[in-house]
Amino acid sequence: MKIDLGPITRIEGHLNVRTTVDNGRITDAQCMGEMFRGFEVFLQGRSPMDAQQITQRICGVCPYAHAIASSYAQENAYQLNVPPNGRILHNLVQGANHLYDYLLHFYQLSALDFVDITAILKYQGKDTELLKIKNWVQAELAAGKPFPAAPFLPRLSGNYISDTALNIGAIKHYLEAMALQQKANRAAAIFGGKFPHSTAIFPGGCTQSPRIDLITTYISLIQEVKDFIHNKYIPDIVAVAGCFKEYWNIGASKGGFLSFGLLPLTSARNSERLFAPGVLLDGKVAKVDFGSITQDIKHAKYSSASGLKVRDSALTPAPNKTGAYSWTKAPRYNGRMVEVGPAARVMVDYLQGHNPTVKKLVESFAAKAKINAGQLNSVLGRHLSRAICAAVIADFLLAQAEQLDPKGPTMAEIRIPASGEGYGATDASRGALLHYLRIEKHKIARYECVVPTTWNASPKDDLGNPGAMESALIGTKVKIAEEQIEALRIVHSFDPCIACSVH
Amino acid sequence: MIDRRQFIKMAATLSAAFGVSNLPAEVAAALKKINPAALPKLIYLQGLSCTGCSISLLQAQSPSPATLITEYSQLAFHADLSAVSGKKALALIESFISGQAGPYFLAVEGAIPYKMPEACVIGGHPFHWYLDQAAKTMAGAVAVGTCASHGGIPAAEGNPTGAISLREYYAKTKVTKPLISIPGCPPHPDWVWHTIVHLVKIGMPELVNGAPQLFFGHKVHDSCPRYHDFQQEIFAKKLGDKGCLFKLGCLGPDTAADCPTRWWNGGQTWCIDANAPCIGCASPIFARKKNFPFYRLTDGQKKAIA
Repeated sequence: MKIDLGPITRIEGHLNVRTTVDNGRITDAQCMGEMFRGFEVFLQGRSPMDAQQITQRICGVCPYAHAIASSYAQENAYQLNVPPNGRILHNLVQGANHLYDYLLHFYQLSALDFVDITAILKYQGKDTELLKIKNWVQAELAAGKPFPAAPFLPRLSGNYISDTALNIGAIKHYLEAMALQQKANRAAAIFGGKFPHSTAIFPGGCTQSPRIDLITTYISLIQEVKDFIHNKYIPDIVAVAGCFKEYWNIGASKGGFLSFGLLPLTSARNSERLFAPGVLLDGKVAKVDFGSITQDIKHAKYSSASGLKVRDSALTPAPNKTGAYSWTKAPRYNGRMVEVGPAARVMVDYLQGHNPTVKKLVESFAAKAKINAGQLNSVLGRHLSRAICAAVIADFLLAQAEQLDPKGPTMAEIRIPASGEGYGATDASRGALLHYLRIEKHKIARYECVVPTTWNASPKDDLGNPGAMESALIGTKVKIAEEQIEALRIVHSFDPCIACSVH
Repeated sequence: MIDRRQFIKMAATLSAAFGVSNLPAEVAAALKKINPAALPKLIYLQGLSCTGCSISLLQAQSPSPATLITEYSQLAFHADLSAVSGKKALALIESFISGQAGPYFLAVEGAIPYKMPEACVIGGHPFHWYLDQAAKTMAGAVAVGTCASHGGIPAAEGNPTGAISLREYYAKTKVTKPLISIPGCPPHPDWVWHTIVHLVKIGMPELVNGAPQLFFGHKVHDSCPRYHDFQQEIFAKKLGDKGCLFKLGCLGPDTAADCPTRWWNGGQTWCIDANAPCIGCASPIFARKKNFPFYRLTDGQKKAIA
């Protein structure tokens, strides 16, 4: 039988997943991106420098990632020489944005898949915030109104954590994480101008001065976030993993892995990055070639040609196309399906033996949880990978902030050439993000974005092979076919963003 | 027009959804008089949106997020926070918009794909179906952000979906329920909940183009801390310079918003403090025209490309 799991909540945007369930097992899955705006169409003919503003509005959850990818693409197209401060400022805003996004994802978007919110009724302590919630839930339940304690109830049927202390601790951290994500965003806004949607990021740097008072505030905020990551976020993930050990073996995608790397170490073009780029296919990591990326559209709602390379891309909407079930295209690497995101980022770096801290964290967590590194490809593996990224990024940001030169320039001077082209590649919190820009007569002639969830929530390709999330769902056992909390946990582990995936 | 009682209800609902604290004593007292069990709730739906407005609302500093989602929360549905998914979520939304679950207000983030309804679908229905149903049963609506208020980026020149704002959609469908626009890409979280404070304390705020005059009554330029630079003709020559940013394309003179006095992210900063020209994100014409770029090139740059 076919079951629609949408509208899927606690993600960004409009996602339906249509599963076919036979004998308690998902035998087919279709990821349906259901919101289309057409960014690549209306970017054409605009000033290239509008792009880092317009493309941020692809996604209000990870706008800085789009600003950075667009800035990199423009730097390449303009052939800018970026001053050291410029690159550090980019890193400070992008890295802080990652930290907020990981906290938001684990607590606000995912925790309610595992944590039993009703455990608050058993709370016997004296914490003011928790008592307020307890009283609120009690009052809501007693009032006899429809949908008490919304938006936290109702919820899907399923097995939630039974340990009361663990549940209550997680609820407390859910609340604290709300305040901590604000601190990360405030840090990013210092040099980004505001959050969401930065106005101060440009190709070649940021417009804000690296004043010592601003640097000090930035460091102080990131330090607070770092403390939360180590004292609460990581222990909470370990605790949830302890209660749901089976999810180390549930939700594996069945293809390769791709990361564009994250956070350049210097301002040089093609600088080494904190996380190394690479494509992992058949157990081996290879260098990334943007020319190997194509996008199929047999099952996507477009009538433009299928299988085009990124720099040749085209976009003609066909909302009623027969056989199409998503507004998301199906990107493939050398024709192969790959997963992107935190697990891909960590595995690609780890297998290259690149970042020693990544190696240390992967091995210590793997030993504690009695898993191998390959099991990062799982529901819990994706959550753990985010925590590893968060720990590594927080340390890097604190070090980078100290390297700002308060007297040095913060930007390259921009001259838009009559013609040119450039790729801009980074890893957003949700995975590999590629922007491509071609300039003709000083205007945007072509702009193409291949976004993390475009990969992960892709529909089947022209050969009928499923996308990463579809492949992770197929084969999963579900207890209650009408609700499928198991499938929801898999979908949430990818942290899908549909505004991004379609754009 | 809605009466004072409705205003207070609406205010309480919205304050519940978005959070209100540090209220003047009278306002707090007014809120306390309302029985929370009888409050109309808020259904928050997203059209052609990026979720940036919702993320901005999570940046509200006072009250604390804990207060937002407990004692003040009347947010019956929000796609980013609701525990429930799928058919159970649809049943919840539909019970409100069919009028069976009591009074409620509708909040909309994002534009409406007027010429391509297939471009936004929730639970098998085009987005506008929910707006049509809600129009019959809701107490009123709030357009959150520039897309819902004015069309915004999805309505940029050359867009393929025929995107329009909530106000335009309800005008076309002859819906006359109360509607307040709170533009901004994204809106400042204060703009939303301070509107509610005003509603509770005084009544319907004075509106300019459907938005509260209190926040959108003056141009950014008029209260800009760099207005003195403008008068002295101290202009930034290139991006990253201090001084008045007018010659780089700053849209402060054309954009109504109180950013210069309010600042963003807990009062940490705002665009012009970061030497970034205002791009007019709260303006009805934000990003709409291809031949109206955000930034102006300096003389040197123009020569370089000539």
